[in-house]
Amino acid sequence: MHNLFQYVPGNSIIHRMNPITKIFLTIVICIAAFVSGNLLFLAGLLAVDLLIGFIAGIPEKTLTIFKGLLKIAIFLFVLQILLVRGGTPVFWIITDEGLLTAARVVLRLVIVCMPLALVLAVTRVTDLTNSLVQVLHVPYKYAFTLSTAIRFIPQFLEEMSGIMEAQTARGVAFDKAKGLKKFSMILPLCAPLLISSVRKTDLTAAAAEVRGFRLRTRQSGYKRYPFTILDLGAAAFCLLLLAAAILL
Amino acid sequence: MIEIQDLTFIYKDEKKPALQDIRLTIPEGGFLGVIGPAGAGKTTLARAVSGMIPHHYTGDYYGSVTVNGMDTVETSLEDISRLVGMVFQDVDSQIISPVVEDELLYGLENFGIPREEIPQRIDEALQKVGIADLRERAVGSLSGGQRQKVAIASIIALRPRILVLDEPTGELDPRSSRQVFSLLKELNEEQRITVIIIEQKIMLLCEFARQLAVLSEGKIVRQGDTRDVLAHAEELEALGVNCPRVTTLSRAVSVKTGEEQPVCLNLDEAEAMVRRLIS
Ligand SMILES: Nc1ncnc2c1ncn2[C@@H]1O[C@H](COP(=O)(O)OP(=O)(O)OP(=O)(O)O)[C@@H](O)[C@H]1O
Ligand SMILES: [Mg+2]
Repeated sequence: MHNLFQYVPGNSIIHRMNPITKIFLTIVICIAAFVSGNLLFLAGLLAVDLLIGFIAGIPEKTLTIFKGLLKIAIFLFVLQILLVRGGTPVFWIITDEGLLTAARVVLRLVIVCMPLALVLAVTRVTDLTNSLVQVLHVPYKYAFTLSTAIRFIPQFLEEMSGIMEAQTARGVAFDKAKGLKKFSMILPLCAPLLISSVRKTDLTAAAAEVRGFRLRTRQSGYKRYPFTILDLGAAAFCLLLLAAAILL
Repeated sequence: MIEIQDLTFIYKDEKKPALQDIRLTIPEGGFLGVIGPAGAGKTTLARAVSGMIPHHYTGDYYGSVTVNGMDTVETSLEDISRLVGMVFQDVDSQIISPVVEDELLYGLENFGIPREEIPQRIDEALQKVGIADLRERAVGSLSGGQRQKVAIASIIALRPRILVLDEPTGELDPRSSRQVFSLLKELNEEQRITVIIIEQKIMLLCEFARQLAVLSEGKIVRQGDTRDVLAHAEELEALGVNCPRVTTLSRAVSVKTGEEQPVCLNLDEAEAMVRRLIS
């Protein structure tokens, strides 16, 4: 779980793409998923997601993310088919419209979340922020906030499991609890964790300050992020996806 | 040269001063060890020298800290940082980047080190700390000791004239701790970099530091040449600061023989003393 968001070094074409292109591709996939309601097309988009993970050379991680999302998806699916009342009944209280809506919602959820997680696995966060600043002229302050937030996710999870371990040692049965029960047990732990996180981020801010945070300009980054033929190819692919989404 | 004059500092919203009436001079090219029990104000002292107090941490500030002639209150944090490099006690908070190489790049980029010079500086810093093989690794995948080395390398790469290290060997094994001290000694002797190190491993301090300052409850209770400070071992022990066994030995010998023996700082000196006594 801790390294789910961690960068996996590599030299695949996905790794070598400009970070901006990767963000663009992610956004296009999201838009496409919401523009089109065609189930076949959505299934195709899902396949594209998985394919990207495989091309990037991280099949295990891709499948782990996929499986994690699938759990949430199944829960949502059941909720949807029970809640949607329109259309003709197919079986018990389940309607055809319910099934269709549920399938769409679930597919969209997985399609949208997959690339967001994958981008972090195949892009160094530093490259992400630096390219945002250099290419898209995002103010460095915001880019830094974003990268710090991303950086703290694994640390947060690590501390969380540390606290849970300590509580388990004192006899709190986290592992036996499931679903909502487990959630209600974890919730009270969030406040102290949040406080310690805020303290840590303040220290991190100080660490950045003493290493010239405020001197940093758009041109400071050592690496440059030019667009290459790879990015052109990816852009063409994006257009294709968008066109298909509108037509189908 | 660093001159601290009657410095008293109270963190915002706190009542008790974290530092009180600190008076301390560290000559250029000095090697100062700072020691003291938990909560004594060691980190606060490091923050005052590196300009984080008063620029990042606010509060009631009396007295002055001058670094190479610049008053830290009047100088911008950036200008102080070019001169003073600081390794934090909490390494995890210090490391900003998710990949080792990027962590070293960060300060170099910000301070506008010429592009051509950057790769060489990174290679050199990684080499010196002995982590050249970790260059591409994700910081999250490193051990505590490895992260500590990354933090040290990222500061060394900036080539500050003054190095402040806050318990930089806390997570290191004895061998790596010694390596860090040897590196500091090398920087100190070859490039005349001033070193201020907060450290609990007194044995290492005795061997490498030329001066010691002992802090307790925000005050300096003793300072001076390492040997002179260690001559007051009882006082240190009373504060909960353990003295090295060789020092205890030379003291015990003084008491037993009734004649004052010079304080021993390392095994060689202790050996010499014993040989002298036997012959
Ligand atoms: N950011 C802060 N805000 C408020 N009070 C602080 C802050 N940092 C330290 N203090 C207080 O200042 C005093 C000295 O703390 P300091 O961290 O300097 O001690 P230390 O000698 O470094 O201790 P340790 O050996 O545990 O690292 C303590 O009473 C502490 O609670
Ligand atoms: Mg401290």
